Amino acid sequence: MRIAFAGNPNSGKTTMYNALTGRSEKVGNWGGVTVGSKEYQLKKEFAGNQEVIAVDLPGAYSMSPFTPEEGITSEYVRTANPDAIVNIVDATNLSRSLFFTTQLLELGIPVVVALNKSDINEKEGTEIDIEKLSAKLNCPVFKTISVNDKNNGLKEMISKAISLAGTIQKPPYLQADINLHDKDAVDAEDRKRYAFVNEIVKDVEKRKVLSAETNKQDKIDAVLLNPVAGILVFAVVMWFVFWVSQAWLGPLVADWLVGYIEAFQGWVAGQLESSPAILSALLADGIVGGVGAVVGFLPLVMVMYFLIALLEDCGYMARVSAVMDPIFKRVGLSGKSVIPVVIGTGCGIPAIMACRTIRDERERRTTSMLTTFIPCGAKIPVIALFAGAFFAGASWVSTLSYFFGLVLIFLGALLIKGITGYKYRKSFFIMELPKWKVPSLKFAFKSMMERARAYIIKAATIILVCNTLVQIMQTFDWHFNVVEEGAESTSILASIATPFAVLLIPLGFGVWQLAAAAITGFIAKENVVGTLAVVYGLTAFIDVDELEMVGGANTVAVTMGLTSVTALAYLFFNLYTPPCFAAIGAMNSEMKSKGWLWGAIGLQLGTGYTVAFLIYQIGTLVTEGHLGQGFLPGLIAEALMVLAVIMIGRKVRAHFDEQYELHKNIKGTEGAAA
Amino acid sequence: MEDKMTLLEAELGKTYTVKEIATDDEDMNAFLFRLGCYSGEPITLVSKKKKSCVAVIKDGRYNLDNLLSEAIVVE
Amino acid sequence: MNFATLIAVLALAVILFLAVRYIYREKKKGTTCIGCPYAGSCQKYKEGITCQTDISGSKAE
Repeated sequence: MRIAFAGNPNSGKTTMYNALTGRSEKVGNWGGVTVGSKEYQLKKEFAGNQEVIAVDLPGAYSMSPFTPEEGITSEYVRTANPDAIVNIVDATNLSRSLFFTTQLLELGIPVVVALNKSDINEKEGTEIDIEKLSAKLNCPVFKTISVNDKNNGLKEMISKAISLAGTIQKPPYLQADINLHDKDAVDAEDRKRYAFVNEIVKDVEKRKVLSAETNKQDKIDAVLLNPVAGILVFAVVMWFVFWVSQAWLGPLVADWLVGYIEAFQGWVAGQLESSPAILSALLADGIVGGVGAVVGFLPLVMVMYFLIALLEDCGYMARVSAVMDPIFKRVGLSGKSVIPVVIGTGCGIPAIMACRTIRDERERRTTSMLTTFIPCGAKIPVIALFAGAFFAGASWVSTLSYFFGLVLIFLGALLIKGITGYKYRKSFFIMELPKWKVPSLKFAFKSMMERARAYIIKAATIILVCNTLVQIMQTFDWHFNVVEEGAESTSILASIATPFAVLLIPLGFGVWQLAAAAITGFIAKENVVGTLAVVYGLTAFIDVDELEMVGGANTVAVTMGLTSVTALAYLFFNLYTPPCFAAIGAMNSEMKSKGWLWGAIGLQLGTGYTVAFLIYQIGTLVTEGHLGQGFLPGLIAEALMVLAVIMIGRKVRAHFDEQYELHKNIKGTEGAAA
Repeated sequence: MEDKMTLLEAELGKTYTVKEIATDDEDMNAFLFRLGCYSGEPITLVSKKKKSCVAVIKDGRYNLDNLLSEAIVVE
Repeated sequence: MNFATLIAVLALAVILFLAVRYIYREKKKGTTCIGCPYAGSCQKYKEGITCQTDISGSKAE
């Protein structure tokens, strides 16, 4: 048996779904968190002995979809024939929600209405007569509070839904038999439906506090939505998140964890003293060292996930989106693009998927193309490694990485606007401002643990296997002879990576070891750290205390042979080139256009290359008074990129003009016919 | 053309009635309709900024940009 | 070959076997990104591709 969960955005569908199934799908206090359907079995305590599958759907205001994610919902309830529908209604906004309810009731599928967020109504003194409402809608209505563990009304509600499966309810409102292609008729019909809903609400709802009255929350919003103060607050909040996770609490825990990892590695190496060197290299350096180097950064990532979860839960995201809207509009995006960017600090894949809530196709594709310029959780180890080894753990490195990512998003958006959008439609922006709520620590902790688990699984599988392969490729040459000390450049790894390294000479890091690390980074960005640990035989990456004792030129920096300038160039190259393959895959499925996908990959490669080139060449000029190596070839490469951009721009514009011409023709004939 | 008052010129805290959505953009009209913003419905301006405003439509608060508030004709 | 080496070889084999088996099974399930808690929904969207036509349809009007 299948029960679908449908309702308006931000009515709490996923929170209820999580409570009923025990899953921990992403939730947040803004409309449009869920962008795809999810299904899972109900917990035994709710379903009894039956097998009941709950299907969580993205929020929708009505059966006619506006954004791709709303399309999923109407498509599902129309065609997938669920056995029952639980319609989650935001009890604080009955007058809007019931519009969709009456549409659902017409589908011939039994519906149970869950008046969610009933606790907020109680606090505000709003009373809803559920018996009357149930009689008017001709379907069962239950008060629910999904965020509560007990007395939440979920059990009664869901068992009613299960028992109703297969029955037929008489819809309280039936759409008149009208021509659905006649816009005016549909309009009039929808108005009648709203009038019907208004009548019901008037009858069943008693409000102590009118929604239109200014309240305390409005005063907070007045500050947060102020163009100057609001953006300042946002900057401070994000800086605080990065500072706590990457400069204060995160490293504190990481130092302690790394101590154990190193001790363990030392112990393993000690046990294998009399064994063949290759075995020790594989086990102690490759697996324990390489994976350990990545896992050592886990505390930083966890603290950050925890703080981001708190932000997502309290209702701040909608405000950020609103306050950033005017700025993003200048570069051809809108406030809707802000949410993917903030989610992107955690992981690029959900960020790219969050772009689904953007209505305009050009805007949606542009955002999914650019959002990964914000360093994700997997890039934190890379940032922390370089900040620790080359900049004495300075926290400005990570702040700069994020800030610069944001700048690149703006520049990229401008570039794409220039290429594709010179006749783009001006899009309007509307964002519901949800009620503020105290973020749940329990939820944030759960979300953090879930993502930590994913991080560990990734480290123990993909990264472990990659490290082992890197270690093997580094140990042997093509004839499977062990590479001798001093002849490392004959190894398989070196011969594969060297051609790429040549391309990187104008960027200041044309050595095969660094090229190899950058390449493995495309599988997962943490691999950059893992591979560097393996190829340079280092592990004590994060042990900042120890590094500081050696001064600026610590062991890591000396072994890697990079100056501060080249280190920064290499770091930024890894941050702003295309993300991992998984994120590219997500981009592919959201863009639905090969042209845009290749454009995105090209843009990201070009950006990473250009940023590194500029940092290295200009940095070298400033610090050493001369240009870096390979300036001319690099300049030629840059010129070629600019040429490519111009060519693409021309092609797109020619195509645009063609379309526009066509449009004019159609309009012309229409005029003639009239 | 008669003088139309839009949400842009509305007073803070006062509840108006939507007269019409003056736009050529079908999508905008339909989108506002789904939120309950159509002729005959009440609307209240809560706060106003240079490029956007916050308004109460039905029982929800929304941040609208000027493109939208320009199109909402009230009385 | 001493005892430690034997244990090490065995441990290496078991660890690699488990890791590769996990990756293989996930790939077979259709997961594109190992360990990613969102992988499920990426997959779903590919199936739900039809919604896109709805959107472009409403725009074309």
